[in-house]
Formats: sequence, C-alpha cells, structure tokens
Amino acid sequence: MSAQPETAAKRVLICEDDTNLRTLVRLALGDGYRYYEAPDGPSGLELARRIHPDVIVLDLMLPGQSGLDVLAELRADHDLAKTPVIVMSAWSHSDEAAVQAGADRFVPKPFDPDELRNAVLALLEDDGPD
Amino acid sequence: MARIDLRSSSLSTRLVVGSALLALLVAAAFGILVFAVTTLDDATKRERHAKALTSQTLQLEKLVLDLDTGLRGYVLTGKRDFLEPWTSARKALPAKLRRFRRLASASPAERQRATTLVDQIRQYVQYYAEPVVQITTTTPAASRTDIVRQEGARELADIRAGFASFLAKENALASARTSAAQRRSELAIITAVGGLVASALLITGFGLYFARSIARPVREVADGATRLAGGDLTTRLEPHGVGEVAELTEAFNRMAERLEASRRELEDQNRRLRESERAKSELVSVVAHELRTPLASVLGFTSVLLQRDVTAEQRREYLGIIEAQARRLGALVNDFLDVQRLEEGKLSISKELVDMGSVVREQTELFAGQSPKHLLDVSLPKTPLPVHGDSNRLAQVVANLLSNAIKYSPQGGVVRVAGQRKNGVIRVSVSDQGVGIPAELQREIFGKFVRGHATAAGIEGSGLGLAISRSLVEAHGGNIDFESRQGQGSTFWFEIPTAAPG
Repeated sequence: MSAQPETAAKRVLICEDDTNLRTLVRLALGDGYRYYEAPDGPSGLELARRIHPDVIVLDLMLPGQSGLDVLAELRADHDLAKTPVIVMSAWSHSDEAAVQAGADRFVPKPFDPDELRNAVLALLEDDGPD
Repeated sequence: MARIDLRSSSLSTRLVVGSALLALLVAAAFGILVFAVTTLDDATKRERHAKALTSQTLQLEKLVLDLDTGLRGYVLTGKRDFLEPWTSARKALPAKLRRFRRLASASPAERQRATTLVDQIRQYVQYYAEPVVQITTTTPAASRTDIVRQEGARELADIRAGFASFLAKENALASARTSAAQRRSELAIITAVGGLVASALLITGFGLYFARSIARPVREVADGATRLAGGDLTTRLEPHGVGEVAELTEAFNRMAERLEASRRELEDQNRRLRESERAKSELVSVVAHELRTPLASVLGFTSVLLQRDVTAEQRREYLGIIEAQARRLGALVNDFLDVQRLEEGKLSISKELVDMGSVVREQTELFAGQSPKHLLDVSLPKTPLPVHGDSNRLAQVVANLLSNAIKYSPQGGVVRVAGQRKNGVIRVSVSDQGVGIPAELQREIFGKFVRGHATAAGIEGSGLGLAISRSLVEAHGGNIDFESRQGQGSTFWFEIPTAAPG
C-alpha cells in the first residue's frame, strides 16, 4: 500500500464504537498511516499502552468506559501523557470538558474528513519528527 | 359517674360547676354565721325574759309579805290602820298574779310551777287570810289563838319556800339556756369561719387550676404557632388540657399536619416537574446524539465520494453504508415520534379484528431473508388468533421482538416464534439462543435508551424498541414480559385479550 518503510509510518489509534465511523476516519486520513482500532475504552487503553501510538482519535460515547475516563487514564500514564489526542463526539457541548481533560483537539460529529485530516497533520507537525 | 362526666365535660362546664359549688359553700358559711348571730340574739331575749320573770316573782313575793305584815299587825292590834298594807296589797294582787302567770309561760313545766305557786297564794288569801280578817273584825280574841297564828305562819312558810324553789328553778334554767346558746353560737362561728377559710382556699385553688389548664396550654399553642410561622412545620403540641383547650391543641396539630402535608405535596410536585424537565432536556440531547452518529456516516461517506477518486466497488460499498445509515436515521425519527406520541397519549390505535397468526407469519417471512445465520422456526395453530387492535402497530411489536432476537444472537441459531390461544388471551413469544440480558439490566430493559452492552457488541438500535413495544401492547390491553439468562438467550412474550367470537 505505502511506499514508505513500515517504521516511518505514523501510528494512529482509532477508539470508536461505530464501525462505519472507524472506516471513515481511515478514509479521511488516507493511506499514509498505520491504523489500530478499538471498539471500546478498555481495549483502546490496552492497545495504546502496548503500541504507544503517534496520535489517538477518541470517541467520547464509548461502551463500558467513557472517552473522558480513557483520556484521564492516558494523561495519568507517564508514557502516554504527551501523546496527541483528538476527541470526536456527537455531544456538541462536550468540547470544553474534553479540552479540560487533556484533549489537544475537539472535532464534533458529524465531521468533515478534511478537518480531521488537517487536525492530525497539525498535531503530528507540532510534535515534530521523532 | 359524676366524676367521669366532669372529666369529659368542657372547660366552660367545669368553670360554671366549680363556681356554683364555691358560691354554695360561701353561702352556707354565711348561713351558719347568720344562724350564730340569731342564736345569740335569741339567748339575749331569753335572758331578758328570765330577768323580767325573776323581778316579777320578787315583786309578787314582796306583795305576799305585805299581805302577811298587814294581816299580822291587824290581828295583834285590832286597829284598822294596821290593815292598810293588807288592803293595798290585796287590791294589787289579782293584776300581779295575772302578770306573773303571763310571764311564766315559756314552757309547760314553768307554767305548771307558776300555777302551783299562784294556787298556793290564792289558797292562803282565800282560805286563811280573808277569814282571819273577817274573824278579827267580829271577834278579835279568836284570831289571836295559837292555832290561827301557827296555821298562818305555816302557810306563809310554804309559800316562801315555793318562791325560793321557783326562783332557783328559773335561775338554773336560764343559766343552762344561756350556756347552751353560747355553745351553739361558738360552734356556729367556728364552722362558719372554717367554711370561709375553706372557701378562700378553694377559690385560690380553683384560680390556680384554671391558670394551669388554660394559661399554660394557651402559652404552648402560642409558642407552637410562632415556631410554625418560623417555618418549622414539624411542630406538634403535646395533647393535654381539657375541653376547649384540648380541642385547641388538637386543631393546632391538625393544622400543622395539613400544612406539612401540603408543603410535602408541593415539594413532590416541584421535584416531579424538575425531573420531567431534566428528562425532557436529556431526551433532546440524547436524540441529537443518536441522530448525529448515523448522520456522521452519511455526510462523511458522501464527502469522500465527492472529493476522492474511488473504485466502482468502493462507491457501491460507501453508497450502501449511506443508504443504511439514512434508513437508520429515518427509523430513529419514527421511534422518537412514537415515543413522544405514546408518552403524550396521542398515538391513535385503531381497533379492528386482526388475526395475530397472519401478523406473525408476515413478519417472520420479512425477517427470514435478512440473516443467513439464523433459522426462524414458526409455530402457529391452524385456526386464527383473533384480537381487536391495530395490525400495523401489532406488526411493529412482533418486528421489534424478531429484530432483537436476531440482533442479540450474533452467532446465529434458531429463533423460535410461537402464537397460541390460552385462557382468553393470544400469546406470542419469540425465543433466541443469543447473549441474554445481564441481571443488572433486567429491571430496566423496558426503559428508554437502555441498550446494555449492545453498543460494545456493535449491535445497532435506538434503545427505544422495547419501550415502544410495551406501550403498544399495553394500549391493546395486554402485557409484555421476558425470561432471560445471560449467555443462554432470551424469550420475550406478550399477551393480548382474545377478540370475542362473532
């Protein structure tokens, strides 16, 4: 798929319960990334601790554990405290809470694919190449 | 008996009865005092009478002595001059005797004594003195004989003894009467003063009793009212006091109870209003959220199709997603509207004769083609299953149960659908071999937006289906329930009264 060597591809963790929306996130960001998907909070956290992704796209309304709780645990984790997190939510009033909990960006649902891609690019540039 | 009556009687009755008794006591004390004074007065009168009688007696005795002196002088001297005391005394005697007898008539015994004395005197005058005067006038020597003189001296001595005895008797009687009167009056005065002192004590006690049984409870009611006015509606008074005061206390407690009850009612109403307000705004926000998720897919895939070059296969796939999500949106909107209409009681349900058997058969056929993993097993009797109702709404309930049975048995399996007539009801049941319902969810499974772990399992739905189904079944006069074991599947069933034949 990609001409870049595997190690160079940025790793994106998509934590979202709706299958279609996970597909849509992948389509929005394009082929330049390596994707990891989790349908709920606990498996998302487990995956994040294992792979240390470069960016996390996190839904707030997750079964089992709310996205805000997942975010709090990420921020409390020494290895993941600095990982950029984009929160996506259909709860239009949750942007403030998300930013307070440590989100770097808030993207409301329904989202524009370009807006999401730009947000990810901006965060990865800020982070700098590592 | 009278005591019990008094105890249960009103305060005003007690006041009146108590006052009347006290008035009687005071009147009795005064009556006794008046009696004492009258007794003393009577004693004084008797004493005066006794003195008068004594004086009359002495005067009479003197008159008799005068008679005797005159007679004796005349007999000794024979001279008429010496007869002077006799003559005047003899003249005054009848009146004196009458007067004496009139005075000495206080008792039959006294009268008797006076009569004896008077008879003695009369006898002396009539049968001795007058004959002696007569004899002295005709034959003076005859009257000077010893026999005549001795006879006179003897009779006179008798009379004087009679006088002495009469006076002694009178004196004894008078002193006895006086001391008796004094004793009576002393007793009466002591009794009356005692009665008055007792009345004074009783009146004071009476006053204290009423102060205690009116003033104190009234003070307590006033304090209670102040506390009540200050907002402490739990204020209650100890039920004591009698009659009207007890009624006042009871009325106060009833009032406080009513006030507290109406405040509780208001608070309840407020809480219910706040709750329904909160539920409404929660519903709005849940609806918005539930609509945005499929909308995100629709808009997102549309924009991908518009902006990217995609293969024909991808286009078909994305358009399929868009169509499914748009349908999901439409179904969600219908569910929300149904829930709202059901909650407001505005959902109209037509009542026509419906064969539940046909409804079950049609819905099962619709679902049969949708899932290759599931086997739908239908069991229906040959005869119709008639109910009165709305065939579209009944079909909606069966479809919801079938859709749940398929959705919640993702591994596939047999879904058993059965319709039967049973004790006046038509019973429809749908069983699956799916995930079952966790115990903690079973109580609220018919609530709105209850989806359990469906989201995690990737099972779609609004969480409104069972809430709507229950409302629809209840609107048909039936009931809906389920049995379920986690990991082993669920059986949902509903019963609707059989339509009367004909």
